[in-house]
Amino acid sequence: MIARRVLAAGLICAALFSACGKKQTESGTVVRFWQFWDVAVVAPIIAEFEKQNPGIRVEVEQLTWATGLEKIQAALASGTQPDVCELGSTWLPRFSYEGVLEDLTSVYEAERDSFLMWDSALYNGRVYGLPWVQGSRVLFVNRDLFRRAGLDPDRPPQTWDELLDASRRIGALGEGIYGFGQNIGEKYVLYKKFMAFAWGNGGDVFDEHGNIVVNSPAMLEALEFYLKLAPHSLQEKQEVLDQYFKTGRLGMQISGAWNVKNYALEAPDLDYGVALVPRPAADRGAHVSFAGAEMLVVFKGTAQKDAAIKLARHLQAYPQAKAISLAAGSVFPAARAAMNDPAFTSDPRIRVFVEQSLTSRTPPAHPGWIEMEEVIDRAVEESMYGRRAPRWCLDDAAREIAIIAARFERK
Amino acid sequence: MARRPSPVVWLLAPWALIYGTFFVFPFLFSFALCFLDYNPLNVANTSFVGGQHFARLIHDENFHGALRNTLFFVVGTVPVTTTLALALAWLLRGPLPMKNVLKAAMFLPSILSVVVIALLFKLFYAPGGALNETLRVLGLSGHTWLTDPATALPAIMAMDVWAAVGYYALVLYAAFTAIPESLYEAAELEGAGAWATFRHVTFPMLKPAIGFVLVINTIRSFQVFVEVLVMTQGGPLGSTNTMVLMLYDTAFRRLDYGYASVIAYAVFALSGVFSVLAMRRMRAQTPAQTRSVPA
Repeated sequence: MIARRVLAAGLICAALFSACGKKQTESGTVVRFWQFWDVAVVAPIIAEFEKQNPGIRVEVEQLTWATGLEKIQAALASGTQPDVCELGSTWLPRFSYEGVLEDLTSVYEAERDSFLMWDSALYNGRVYGLPWVQGSRVLFVNRDLFRRAGLDPDRPPQTWDELLDASRRIGALGEGIYGFGQNIGEKYVLYKKFMAFAWGNGGDVFDEHGNIVVNSPAMLEALEFYLKLAPHSLQEKQEVLDQYFKTGRLGMQISGAWNVKNYALEAPDLDYGVALVPRPAADRGAHVSFAGAEMLVVFKGTAQKDAAIKLARHLQAYPQAKAISLAAGSVFPAARAAMNDPAFTSDPRIRVFVEQSLTSRTPPAHPGWIEMEEVIDRAVEESMYGRRAPRWCLDDAAREIAIIAARFERK
Repeated sequence: MARRPSPVVWLLAPWALIYGTFFVFPFLFSFALCFLDYNPLNVANTSFVGGQHFARLIHDENFHGALRNTLFFVVGTVPVTTTLALALAWLLRGPLPMKNVLKAAMFLPSILSVVVIALLFKLFYAPGGALNETLRVLGLSGHTWLTDPATALPAIMAMDVWAAVGYYALVLYAAFTAIPESLYEAAELEGAGAWATFRHVTFPMLKPAIGFVLVINTIRSFQVFVEVLVMTQGGPLGSTNTMVLMLYDTAFRRLDYGYASVIAYAVFALSGVFSVLAMRRMRAQTPAQTRSVPA
């Protein structure tokens, strides 16, 4: 008796809820879009899209960086995922592998040359995401400390030797002043800094055939160089490094554009410049850095596939990506058009970020990358703490990455 | 058949619904997950793996590390917090100036969010932070507390003791005030000194409250997570990786919900065992039952 009443009450509630849900779809096509930016920034872009496409209505939801991913997972598990979604380049390969994304290869073929950062969207020869905005890390230099150390502030280090020399000279300026900043003691950051040196030196996690080469001579050389910087470096968490740089006690560090925005507000007198990440030598290697890209994906099984792809392409297009980038102040459009737009090239510092992104790399597009990055973090960190020789750390990393990779070969 | 359900049923219904949805269901669901390969991105591919996750747990070095760190955390904080709370409660019993202000101050950390406390202590331990500056003024050398694998976990433990001790001190203080004055008068007549009074009157009377403090704090300490997530994310070199942090990583980053559920049940089982042990030790005893009166 009671059970029946509870059941009836439950059914009434369910009916009410589903009625609420239905009402929205009656007024034409509704595309649900989940993203991480301030809704106020995205709203005008969406309004524009709706004006150009009468009959399509977009429901935007803002996710938080803290819980967004969990929300997307839960939505996929229960079949309530949105149609279009923003995903980070670190996560995209796993989603591609799981087969939950719509194949966007046709868009790629049409737009390939207009955008950077496609790598993380490639999986098994198909493309599952559209590069939207991106943020490269660059070398920050404190010009005051350069002058005090007898270095030319207008000529930031171009090569590893120059970087080491500048670190040593600034580090020798006195107690509490450090030449270079190295991340330590936190996850998901260290590999982004180290891999810049590794990539620049021709090292990588996988070679072009997918073989694991994380313990190659080029990687070892990069790690050994990174360790040479240690005696002149402040080894701390990112926020401490940013704080030290802001207060003029750190000569150089590799960091992102969010600092440019913050320093303008919090340290307007700080005399600093930015430069490309140094290359191994003037005649060798490249100025490579790490970039995080935000990608747009369309979830498989959407009833509004055409409208969803239309929205994703609208968002990806340069004017829209530019508006988001300028509002955020910490990212740049993935569109190549940004390279020639005075909005990004007139400021000498911002121009460096844009220029760096031409040679920046996103993490390897492996579905197991989330676990592999921790292995690389650990190898570099163990070397930095002097626990074991860099060679053994990288050999172990290669073994562990092989084990992770094997788990993803089932399909 | 026409009997109407008692109003109690209706009064309990909202609670039962919430309890069922947010406790019973996840509890049973995660139990089922222990035996499944379940990934939220690919629910259709869920497969039964039997005891595979349990076997993996036994041989997983990451888990061994997380288990060691968690046990170290529990064994290192719970007795310290309890002893300090007992001492503070004892002090509060005596004549103290501004007692209510003190009590409020002690309780304050309990109403702060753990995230806020963790962020504050991150600053406190930072180079150039309050702790290192104080050491510098005292002529001592500072330390990189949270980036040294040897001090990162103890630093978080010290914070936990600070944050928890006030609440438990008030619980014990309340228990203190419930001890009948007549017992102390009797003890005094018998010529018992301060220690004998504490040993044979106060402590036995406090045992149920101490048991409560131990159990609650043990369960809470086994679940240490937010502090670590905010302050060190398990690093450096895995020195602060705890079981619940590993559970979180396994489920939400590695999308291995089955294995994560096994870790969750391991946390549950361990905190259960420790709680039962603590309760056994602190089972309520009346003074008459304590026979270990020294000659």
